Amino acid sequence: MLRFIIRRLLITIPTILIVITIAWGLVKLAPGNFYSGEKRLPPAIEKAIREKYGLDKPWYQQYGKMMWAIVRHGDFGTSLRYEGQSVNTIIRRSLPVSAAVGILAYLLALIVGVTAGSIAALKQNSRWDYSSMTLAMLGISVPNFVLGPILVLIFSLSLYWLPPSRWGGFPSRNLILPVITLSAIYMAYIARLTRAGMLEVLRSDYIRTARAKGLSERDVVIKHALRGGLMPVVSYTGPALAFLLTGTVVVERIFALPGLGNYFIQASLNRDEPLIIGIVAFIAITLLLMNLLVDIAYAYLDPRVRY
Amino acid sequence: MSKQKQIGLLLLLASIALAAISCNTSTAKEAFFGKTVPPDRNIFRYVTGDEPESLDPAISNGQPEARIYMALYDGLVEYHPKTLGPVPALAERWEANNDSSEFKFFLRHNGRWSNGDPITAQDFVYSFRRVVTKETASRNAYLAYYIKYAQPFNEQKVFVRDPQTNQFLLAKDFDDSTPPEPIAGAPLDGAKPEYTTADNSQTEHDGDFHKQLHTPLRLTIPGDAKGRNKLLDANPKLKAAMAGKELVPIQAEDIGVSAIDDYTLRISLVQPGPFLTGLLAHQAFRIVPQKIVEKYGANWTQPQNIVTCGPFKVKTWQPYDKLVVERDPMYWDAATVKLDEIHFYPMSDNPTIMNLYKVGEVDAVLNHTVPNAWLEVVKTKQDYMDGVEAAINYLLINVLHPPMNDVRVRKAFNYSIDKEAWAKWRKVVKPLTAFTPEGIFPDYPQPKGDPFNPEEARRLMTEAGFPVTKRADGSYTCPKFPVDQVEYIYNTQESNKAMAEWMQAQWKQNLGITISLRNMDWKTFLNVRAKLEYKGFARGAWGADYMDPFTFLSLFYTGGENGSGWLDPKYVAMVDEANRMLDPKKRYELLAKAEKFLIDAQPIIPLDTAAVNFVKKPYVKGMYPNAGSLYAWKYVYIERDPSKWDYGIPSLAE
Repeated sequence: MLRFIIRRLLITIPTILIVITIAWGLVKLAPGNFYSGEKRLPPAIEKAIREKYGLDKPWYQQYGKMMWAIVRHGDFGTSLRYEGQSVNTIIRRSLPVSAAVGILAYLLALIVGVTAGSIAALKQNSRWDYSSMTLAMLGISVPNFVLGPILVLIFSLSLYWLPPSRWGGFPSRNLILPVITLSAIYMAYIARLTRAGMLEVLRSDYIRTARAKGLSERDVVIKHALRGGLMPVVSYTGPALAFLLTGTVVVERIFALPGLGNYFIQASLNRDEPLIIGIVAFIAITLLLMNLLVDIAYAYLDPRVRY
Repeated sequence: MSKQKQIGLLLLLASIALAAISCNTSTAKEAFFGKTVPPDRNIFRYVTGDEPESLDPAISNGQPEARIYMALYDGLVEYHPKTLGPVPALAERWEANNDSSEFKFFLRHNGRWSNGDPITAQDFVYSFRRVVTKETASRNAYLAYYIKYAQPFNEQKVFVRDPQTNQFLLAKDFDDSTPPEPIAGAPLDGAKPEYTTADNSQTEHDGDFHKQLHTPLRLTIPGDAKGRNKLLDANPKLKAAMAGKELVPIQAEDIGVSAIDDYTLRISLVQPGPFLTGLLAHQAFRIVPQKIVEKYGANWTQPQNIVTCGPFKVKTWQPYDKLVVERDPMYWDAATVKLDEIHFYPMSDNPTIMNLYKVGEVDAVLNHTVPNAWLEVVKTKQDYMDGVEAAINYLLINVLHPPMNDVRVRKAFNYSIDKEAWAKWRKVVKPLTAFTPEGIFPDYPQPKGDPFNPEEARRLMTEAGFPVTKRADGSYTCPKFPVDQVEYIYNTQESNKAMAEWMQAQWKQNLGITISLRNMDWKTFLNVRAKLEYKGFARGAWGADYMDPFTFLSLFYTGGENGSGWLDPKYVAMVDEANRMLDPKKRYELLAKAEKFLIDAQPIIPLDTAAVNFVKKPYVKGMYPNAGSLYAWKYVYIERDPSKWDYGIPSLAE
């Protein structure tokens, strides 16, 4: 197991360097500059800006300098767009925002999704099953850029109950709408996955054995059925958690949250090279780590995977 | 889907629709858009647009930042809250010499930085030099190019000196197009007063630097060998004169800004600049603290380091969340400042901004935030603000690529757009046939361009070799026109798409030509347009840097940078001639002539004078929908007595 983890961690390093390189190449290939505007700047000013940020150097020097700073110091440089702000600081500052919304959404999705999915499976073809699966269907098919504004329309603009946007710190009422919006699709997926997994497990032989042994229904469901039925959920929620943690562009934008996702989209639109690369690398690392965690969790949940 | 599922779905959709409708009907009846409860304290919460690039006024050229800089920094003059004309700020008064090529500013003695240090003329000298210093890499540097030697210094050019005589080569000896010297470039003559309002004190202050500056313009040539050789090869006379001469790099100290004493500043220009005082309120000319900038470098704008000089100072700054500025008790005019704090929220999604406004979490929002689809409703509210904007929308044409290199074809496309109908459809803008906005520059005799005339358009197309014929069903067709050689590019945005489709429909209807549309993200678009990597049409828009027609006409004053490929020396000469005029009326007439020349050449299709439109709560007073959307924050306040609120648009008349 330890060897497995170490091996996986070692593979992570080159993967991330490759991701950074590809991101860098794509940014370099994208037309336009961080300083371009409606009126083109006089050539002398353009030249001064390029020299100030080292953009006048040949590409291999720029690449080498960037890679060296990253490998040596874990330093992704300074944002081009936001004068004097280092990429690491920006990530450190915006990560808690994304993480707060993401983890809350994750927990909400998990609790509601697993509960609804289990109930639906246990009472298959009942009214509970139909209504929760209808909602799940809606959750999957209504994109968050539709759901968010609808929630805002109802709860903020009509009822004046909740603030429509902006970050209000943690915890605050500002979190409620973004968390619901963000969790909806995950909630729906988890509910469906739980239901499918549970249905399969409930029909399996070992559950019949458990029942035959005379275990209470509660023990059968929680100790045996849920554990097996959650396998597909686990493999789904690992990467999902990574995406939730690192911010979701749409929800952060709709609710004007100062999270990673918002910075990411702005950085791309602004051609802010160091910031784009820093965030891409950060998301890649999180994603790889989460996948690793999933594999470990898998091993615990399913003895067959262990080796 | 089972019946139960269907019923559930229907119920849910119905409830959503109901909620949406009930919300709409409730807003339709109200006098204002959303809540009108003033904040508890004297705090003004404002959405200013995107996250500021920097709190350093030299760095950003954006308007969202400009409004923040107006809270934090003061300049010689401030924008008038209604007209945007210059009103005294750190300069109590000023005088110009007889051809507006030299200005003296008399500073107030009570100006202070937020750390209590006095503000002197030296602070201006430092800040102005800094903005044109190459290492600052200021995007606003070009606005200071009117100051003597500021442009060649920014471009790192050199003077040429004869080591024997210590004489510098002069520009007029090598370039026939050099305009005559302004008074500021003539040798000093005590007998002839330069300033009509002179206090006869002129000669006492004439230091060595001033005498040196008061000489004909020196020749400046590129500082790098490559650029220099290229110039010399093209100019044999200059090459001959260079023999035995030495190159003298231009220093920051050579620029035409000087402190006569602690409270008198002199600015010498390279040309007459009657518009200079209007320009000086721009962020490029607001001052920064030398000691702090030198101590902290790029980090000087961090909240723990920053020192400012405006009506407000930084309290807290959470990037991408909010910037809180508070009243600065050190400010010379602190008694006028009524707000305790301003909260600037960086946001860019229009519906999100409007929602925040509606629930009363912000008190006003930036220009152009009301989505077009919301206008019908929002326009009827008493907190909706609109007014003419010192900005235009137009189409650029790549004039280097056939068939658009034919002026007849360009004119035909212009003739076939009904701009009246366009303005009506856009709801807030005004139709435009010229290249300067209408109704912004009071005495400017703005020329008229070609009107909507589809007959003439078809005639011109036929004349250019692309006959337009009428089909049996009344529509037109132009089979010979190479539609694959013309396209319309725009940056991805809902309103730009609608605009592109509107133009496409006009040309289809009136010329029988269907132009293909291509959209791209903003930065790609700028790149494609600047490098003329498009064929046909590109969207264009420009807002004034300062209140003078030249801020628009200058777009076609320099070559290669305007996105159309059109550059005519005749036009440049016409603009030059106008700017040399001392009489403002005559100058305007000549500028108008140049503008007429430009629109006749048709490298652009003017569409409309843009409109300022935004919402502000009725209890926000002292904030006017001025043409540049720049607000002097010290005059803004929260009015708690509803009888004194703004019910409708406050008058812009003084």
